[in-house]
Amino acid sequence: MNLKELYQEIILEHGKNPRNLGKTDNFNKDAKGHNPLCGDNVHVYLKLNGQKIVEDISFEGSGCAISMASASIMTDLIKGKNEHEAKEIVEDFLGMIKENPKLNSENLKEDEKTKLMCLSGVKQYPMRVKCATLSWHTLISAIDNTQEEINSEKLD
Amino acid sequence: MNIDTIKKEFPIFDEKIQNNDLVYLDSANSSQKPKVVIDRINEFYTKEFSNVGRSVHYLAVAATNLYENTRASVQKFINAKDKNEIVFTKGATEALNLVANTLGQNYLQEGDEVLITELEHHSNYVPWHFLRKSKKIKINFAEINDDIEITLEEIEKKITSRTKIISITHLSNVTGAILPIKEITELAHSKGIVVVVDGCQGAPHLKLDMQDLDCDFYAISCHKMYGPTGLGVLYGKKKWLEELPPYQGGGGMINEVKKDRISYGNLPNKFEAGTMATAQVIAFDQSIKFLERIGIDNVVKHEADLIEYGQELLQKNNSVKLIGNPKNKGGVLSFTIEGIHPHDVATILDEDGVAIRAGHHCCQILHDKLNIPASSRASVGVYNTRNDLDKLNEAINNCKKIFNQK
Ligand SMILES: Cc1ncc(COP(=O)(O)O)c(C=O)c1O
Repeated sequence: MNLKELYQEIILEHGKNPRNLGKTDNFNKDAKGHNPLCGDNVHVYLKLNGQKIVEDISFEGSGCAISMASASIMTDLIKGKNEHEAKEIVEDFLGMIKENPKLNSENLKEDEKTKLMCLSGVKQYPMRVKCATLSWHTLISAIDNTQEEINSEKLD
Repeated sequence: MNIDTIKKEFPIFDEKIQNNDLVYLDSANSSQKPKVVIDRINEFYTKEFSNVGRSVHYLAVAATNLYENTRASVQKFINAKDKNEIVFTKGATEALNLVANTLGQNYLQEGDEVLITELEHHSNYVPWHFLRKSKKIKINFAEINDDIEITLEEIEKKITSRTKIISITHLSNVTGAILPIKEITELAHSKGIVVVVDGCQGAPHLKLDMQDLDCDFYAISCHKMYGPTGLGVLYGKKKWLEELPPYQGGGGMINEVKKDRISYGNLPNKFEAGTMATAQVIAFDQSIKFLERIGIDNVVKHEADLIEYGQELLQKNNSVKLIGNPKNKGGVLSFTIEGIHPHDVATILDEDGVAIRAGHHCCQILHDKLNIPASSRASVGVYNTRNDLDKLNEAINNCKKIFNQK
């Protein structure tokens, strides 16, 4: 176990000053997520243009440093990607957090992968994995317009 | 009371937890178990096992006697008038569900009111909420004051002509506030109101006397009392337990079963349907004996010292904010650290071997009222020492360091 790996500077920094925090103007997709164990909430907003490209993305919510940093980094990376790419990146991230040693997505640049790998420390803390993944599951729900609140306890 | 020797009775403290000595500050959640209790479970399964109350063979009779011995010990421990006022359940949650469900069936009418408090654990709110749906009753909340206590005056203020039941915690599992149960009961009874007490945190930390408190029901969680999991106790006044309908149907709780009619057994069998947590009940006798051996007065004194010491320590630690300042308090210290979410606190403390709880502690109503999503909670038991609280404080400082705080 290594706390330094979990709480890297970049995570502390994003946790303290999350990017894209708030409600996107004229969003056209959104979804809510909830972690009943800790009471954390997240609300993801998306604005897709005619070409299904994420023109803007933001989130509202409160939570631990891991969950805030994860949502912050996610929104940074997803902005500008198209819907298909965004979903592929989410899959890749969830795969990495679950079992894969690294990220494989061709839709992420090397520096983006490096940034995202900062969250890999959470793998050693099973109780905290949901903190890191809640906003990502919620993003998928927003893209798919499922209208269903994501509940971290109902995810595997 | 010599704490060093008491701690030695708990095998878990001989273990290294992730290479650390265990600093266990999560007893409000569940306490650790002394060797006598662990051994008793093993011994019962190894040498004495049988189901109880059914067969006539030697082992069945012996096990039944052991099972009933625990009931007698519990009766004595909480000074109940009658042995049949002690009902075993699977936990305090089931005990509270039993009370709410059966009072709901037999006693409450549409429009009646149940008064609870903002301090309640979800298990003393959700079962009443079911009745809000099925029986159209109303639930009122007595509100906390600035010190996060519930006063007798506040309870009095919230009683209306429709209040039929007051259901309240004895000791808050978040702030440690002790409620004036005896006075509340006196007031309630003068108005014909039934009093139900969630005694989960009261039972491990306070001297209990049912005849003195005079409440109508008292729910106990055995796993928080140095006893096994899967076991709780419901104390209920005999007249109530006799009057209420059974909660679950099945074997053991009946008198006679015919195709067109069924009659129910006597107390306490009426409320103990199916095979009970036999080994746990039998081992719980050892938990009570353990507590009696230390002496509840000594437990109270020891824990009061720990809480006072911990409170002073944390008050001196800048950026730590204690939740609540009840005049009468026990067992629990909840706090927040500015700029650090409780879940980050708990993860970092865990790395130093300090086990606390982070979250809303099943008290979302209270956390909403305080406008915080979660808090950190350190809670003590007989095995804790001042040194454990020093370790807690050091671990908090380490946590601040990781988050670049002074
Ligand atoms: C105040 C309070 N009430 C009820 C419960 C539930 O008790 P049990 O685990 O025995 O169902 C707890 C324990 O979490 C508690 O602290």
